[in-house]
Amino acid sequence: MSAAPPVAARFGSGHSVRRIEDPTLVSGTGRYVDDVSIAGQLHVVLLRSPHAHARIASIDASAARAMPGVVAVYTGADLKAGGVSPLPTPCPFPRPDGTPSKSAPMWPLAVDTVRFVGEGVAAIVAETRDAARDARDAVVVDYEDLPAVVTIEGALAQGAPLVWPEAGDNWVAKAAHGDAAKAADAFAKAAHVVALDLVNQRLAAVAMEPRGVLAYPDADTGKLTLRLSSQMPSGARDTIAAALGLKKDDARVVVGDVGGGFGMKTGAYQEDVVVGFCAKALGRPVKWAAERGDEFLAGRPGRDIVSRAELALDAQGRVLALRVRTDANVGAYATTTAVAIQLLIGPWVATSIYDIPVIDFDLRAVMTHTAPLGAYRGAGRPEAIYVIERLMDAAARRMKLDPAELRLRNMIRPEQMPYRNPMAQTYDTGNFPSIARQGLALADWDGFPARAAASKARGKLRGLGLATFLEWTGGNQFEERVTVDVSADGFIEIYTATQAMGQGIATSYAQLAVDVFGVPIERVRIVQGDTDRGQGFGSAGSRSLFTGGSAVRVASQRTVDEAKALAADALEASVKDIEYAAGSFSIVGTDRRIDLFELAGRQPAKRLYVDSTSSVSGATWPNGCHVCEVEVDPDTGEVEVVSYASVNDVGRVVNPMIVVGQLDGGAVQGLGQALCERIVYDPESGQLLTGTLSDYALPRADLVRRFRTELDQSVPSINNPLGVKGVGELGTIGATPCAVNAVVDALVRAGVPAGRAEAMQMPLLPETVWRALHGA
Amino acid sequence: MPTARFTVNGQPVSVEVENRRLLVEVLRDDLQLTGTHVGCDTSQCGCCTVLIDGRPAKACATLAVSVEGRAVSTIEGLKGADGGLHPVQQAFVECHGLQCGFCTPGMVMSACALLASNPTPSDDEIVHALEGNLCRCTGYVNIVESVRRAAGAGR
Repeated sequence: MSAAPPVAARFGSGHSVRRIEDPTLVSGTGRYVDDVSIAGQLHVVLLRSPHAHARIASIDASAARAMPGVVAVYTGADLKAGGVSPLPTPCPFPRPDGTPSKSAPMWPLAVDTVRFVGEGVAAIVAETRDAARDARDAVVVDYEDLPAVVTIEGALAQGAPLVWPEAGDNWVAKAAHGDAAKAADAFAKAAHVVALDLVNQRLAAVAMEPRGVLAYPDADTGKLTLRLSSQMPSGARDTIAAALGLKKDDARVVVGDVGGGFGMKTGAYQEDVVVGFCAKALGRPVKWAAERGDEFLAGRPGRDIVSRAELALDAQGRVLALRVRTDANVGAYATTTAVAIQLLIGPWVATSIYDIPVIDFDLRAVMTHTAPLGAYRGAGRPEAIYVIERLMDAAARRMKLDPAELRLRNMIRPEQMPYRNPMAQTYDTGNFPSIARQGLALADWDGFPARAAASKARGKLRGLGLATFLEWTGGNQFEERVTVDVSADGFIEIYTATQAMGQGIATSYAQLAVDVFGVPIERVRIVQGDTDRGQGFGSAGSRSLFTGGSAVRVASQRTVDEAKALAADALEASVKDIEYAAGSFSIVGTDRRIDLFELAGRQPAKRLYVDSTSSVSGATWPNGCHVCEVEVDPDTGEVEVVSYASVNDVGRVVNPMIVVGQLDGGAVQGLGQALCERIVYDPESGQLLTGTLSDYALPRADLVRRFRTELDQSVPSINNPLGVKGVGELGTIGATPCAVNAVVDALVRAGVPAGRAEAMQMPLLPETVWRALHGA
Repeated sequence: MPTARFTVNGQPVSVEVENRRLLVEVLRDDLQLTGTHVGCDTSQCGCCTVLIDGRPAKACATLAVSVEGRAVSTIEGLKGADGGLHPVQQAFVECHGLQCGFCTPGMVMSACALLASNPTPSDDEIVHALEGNLCRCTGYVNIVESVRRAAGAGR
């Protein structure tokens, strides 16, 4: 009789194990932030500014306070008087004049001045949401409207209204990287120079679950607990506590199921502090549930940069230098995240997988009277990769070279690894030419002319677009703490401070635990989202699997190793004679054994408990080759994505199903930036024109019908014990440039002058494409 | 205050509601059926999709008083023949048709309505049936595959 295959062979890493999260979520029994209520809870709604820039002359809430069910109305002045501090807006970059970075203080509710449409002005607390909403309409605010700046150009104009007068201008910060003189030399001697003006428009993350807060004080301990929908519970706790004047340990953040994050649920928000203040002041549970309108107005958007980008090449197409001038609109309050994304993180990957010797980057952050920016999936890398991949296509076009060939000529070769790029970032592993060739083959790159002819016969203009690229992952936060609790009741509970938001962390971590423990996956419980149980950086920058997953592996192994000594005692044998397999310890060469859970039950605490902290040694550099084909309708300018193929190096893969899901779902977000999404403010009034999902166009089910997505696992990362690389953002980063390159290609093939086709800016709406096609 | 009497997942309910209260508020707040989610305030996202007399409807755009005498079905009422997951739910699990899961109840209810009226939909018909449901995680391809799988399972 043959033994059943060990569970690790079926549920361990490398297998497309069905997600352990799903039975709950498909049944509607998930616990998202607004699904939890506490008896006696109050509801809060925010009154938001209708002006982009105004002085608050007075607020009269007396009528609102007298309305039925209303418990309190708080203004920014009330919070300030109650000891609340502004949220942090520090930033390690100097301004262009060398003085320290400047930003207006970000009060949880505006004090004296509002600086963007949607800024919170008052919080209305009532017994029901409806009562709070009714009372909101009765709060009278006397605003003195002030002139606003909305665009980067407007903010930098002579005599522009100032977002923060103490700064003297609208500059937040500036960073320069590289060697401007060397770059000037390279451009002077270049055989070919291409230059593009490129806009990465402002985008909303639109996690389907809006944010929310349920705050409740503990009468006995005075501790304030906040249930949030957050990717970074610990960081949120620390910031909220500081703003409320609490010690860190006097606040606790609890996170249940998170309905998508995409970077916008990373930091603490103004509303978190407001709701915490209300709960503390009133001594009762208080809940706020964002409406979608709140999210468009005040959830932190991403991107929003304009770049002038130039590439110098020699006669053979070798890139000599990359020069980029970027201005980033960081909104009314400069968060460190928003500034660092554009001034540092994006530049880290700006030369991508190409061996570019010289860079000259000059990057500036600018304040405007618009919502403050934050992180959105990719966070700097999509912008940077878009710039270089658009330049590559433009250069190939000028030189009449195949864009794939031009890229291959410039790629870093495997024998150059580890490779230090001009931003002093070291890529540990990668075989970029191999990934590119596989991607081109999967997409049948060479067979394109026949497909273009078939499209033409149907009256459509077909285009072919390529992106070969890498990204940086990890947030440069490499340490993770994990606790493992093996209990006598037969379960292994693993707590981690990384935070699921839909990416399937619990399943992936459980698979890694199965690898070590060899027990059925049902025996493993992954617990997250409670700062009282453990703290850490949280989940952002595609870091969870390679940092948190590695820590789970290490902690699991430490547990087995420590338990071996206990097993040796129990079996009255020497530790060196104990081996562990599939849930039990045995004496080598004998049938004397003890079950893992039984061993746990014999301990004084009826459990085996290990508190393990471990680190990985560096970032990972996932990379890929994405090829998109589009058909353009010449009569309407509509773009249809007709083919999308990609080969991706994300190192070793724990769960292929989950990884492909991340890549494909991410790609659709990237296609959203390329083809339909944008936040629009009225340039004069600063009114938000895309405040609902009727105005902000998300991709729908008809956008892409099929992905061909392959994984090459032959080049594992050497910076972590799992050999994995981050995957959460890769698809988003690749999709935007390859789709835009495809549309430009379709137009140029149809005879549109290259300069006109290349001048189109995202999103490539039918009108944009039609105008470029027809020169209108 | 008016009283609305209707059934939810086959069970009769009687709730006192203000005229302005939405069905989704009654389901979530009064009946604690929190599987029906609210993802927007303009009836675009479809996270709140329920069935009213078997037809898909957005509970955020339905006044509670308007369902008087009607049959409302929510995600909590779905069950398979064995008491486990409904075939559509099972297909979403098998095809990785969900990530964060927030849009999923609405997607599943829309898919159930489609398959009830058209047991063998084409891909175009599936995509059309889901045009009122937004998902930000999956890119939709696995959702369409899930519905296709569920249709096959029902054949």
